This record gives sequence, structure tokens and C-alpha cells, in this order.
Amino acid sequence: MAKRILITDDALFMRVTLKNILTQNGFEVAGEAANGKEAVQMYQDLKPDLVTMDITMPEMDGLEALKQIRDLDPEAKVVMCTAMGQKNMVVDAVQAGAKDFIVKPFQPDRVVEAVKKLLAA
Amino acid sequence: MQAKFVNPFVSGAQEVVGMVLAVEPSLGQLAARPRIFTSQQFNVTCGITGDLAGQIIYGMSLQTAEAITKKMLGDALVPNEELAASALSELGNMISGTCSSKLHSAGYTCDITPPTIIQGTNVSISTIDIPALVIPLNLPGFGVLEINVSLKERAVAQAA
Repeated sequence: MAKRILITDDALFMRVTLKNILTQNGFEVAGEAANGKEAVQMYQDLKPDLVTMDITMPEMDGLEALKQIRDLDPEAKVVMCTAMGQKNMVVDAVQAGAKDFIVKPFQPDRVVEAVKKLLAA
Repeated sequence: MQAKFVNPFVSGAQEVVGMVLAVEPSLGQLAARPRIFTSQQFNVTCGITGDLAGQIIYGMSLQTAEAITKKMLGDALVPNEELAASALSELGNMISGTCSSKLHSAGYTCDITPPTIIQGTNVSISTIDIPALVIPLNLPGFGVLEINVSLKERAVAQAA
């Protein structure tokens, strides 16, 4: 069965781009969240195998959503996917339990490799 | 505005645009304005908070906006207005994010706010009374992306 992924990004363009990359590589997109708050709710409803998480978003940012998801499920696999590549952001995300950190703009292969690696583990 | 804030934007924008649009951008003539202002038809604005406070406007003509959108969406996506606006916002977000990382390396820890689109010419952002620097990037085959940067250090911003 295809592994199910929840995409989180406030930009429709980025959600569509990630969805295309993931579905073309055999993954199923379980849902699309437009902010951190939606992601936390959808994580509980959909129980995806992995979450991609933007950081700069309205309502609730990705770092807070990451923390809440990891509180709900300490085994949750969350990959940050953000334009904010500075060291302090990476450190904060990894300390909060993020499994990988992809900086935008990215090449599709970077996303596929990260997701495959985590879902094989 | 201090020149040390400028280089991160020039190099950050060149990197992101080069990768996303697959072009080699060239830098036009820098210009200063007494405040942040855009005379372009299509604008993406993004706020900067943290050690620096201010606003960035990415301005372009409608023609340039269309050409960039077409390239970003490619053939795989069915274009519509919402998706096109989102792609251009995301370009602004990616440039701001990359510049923010470069500012971090230069000793300024900043965050960015989600981008907003403003369509229409002669827009000034009246609450931000900080001199602006205009960085025009020539994008072969696309047109000009005009980056308006208006930033000041937080201590100064708070005192103002």
C-alpha cells in the first residue's frame, strides 16, 4: 500500500508542486493543510505516515505545529520544508523532533530522497 | 539604509531566481528612495521582523509576472489566477527566506512574515518611514524584478 503523506504549506503553489512530486513517485497524499493549526487537526484525523511542514505560515507556524504533532505522537515523522534555512531554525526544528530539513527552492529529487529514506526506516 | 543589508538581498535574490527560473540575472543600477514605494504593476510584499525591522517589495510588470508564472507552473500544472498569484508569492517568500539566512550569517537573526500581493501602480507603504533601496535584477527572457528593501536595526526601530 502506498505510504500516505500530509502536506503543510500556506502557498497553494507549493502544495500543488509537492503533491505532483510525491504522487509521481508512488506516494499517496493523504491531505493538504494550509497552516499549522490545520496540520495538527489533520494529523489526528488522517494519521499520515509522514508530514511535510512549512515554517512561515499564518494562524500557527510550522515549528509550533511540529511540537504539537510530536506531543500527540512522539513517533511522528515530520520533514520541514521551508525558505528559512538559517542555522537557528534548523536547530530549533531538529530539537523539536523534525527528521529532516529541506530548504526552498529545492530540486524534486531532494524531497523524494528524504521521504523515501524516512519511510524505509 | 546601511549597505551591509544590501548584499544579502542581491546575492540571495540572484541565487533563488537563478535556480527557480533557470536564468542568470544581472544587477541593474541601484537607487535610493526616501521611503518604500513601488511603481510596478504587480507586487509581492514581505515583512521582516527580529533584529531588523522593515518591509521588502518585489515589484514587476504584468508581462514579467506572467512570464515568471508560466515558467514556475510549467506544463504539469493547469494555470489559474489563484495558482499564479501563489507561485509569485512563493518566489517572494523564497527570496526573503534565503536573504534572511544570509542576514543571520551576517549577525542579524530575522524572521519573515507570509507574503501579500498588491496589484496596482504607485503604491507606498505609509507606516514604514525608512529609506528604501531599489535593487533591479534583469532576468533575461522575463523582464526586470525590482526589489525594494527598507530595513533598519531593531534598536533604532523601537526608539523611532
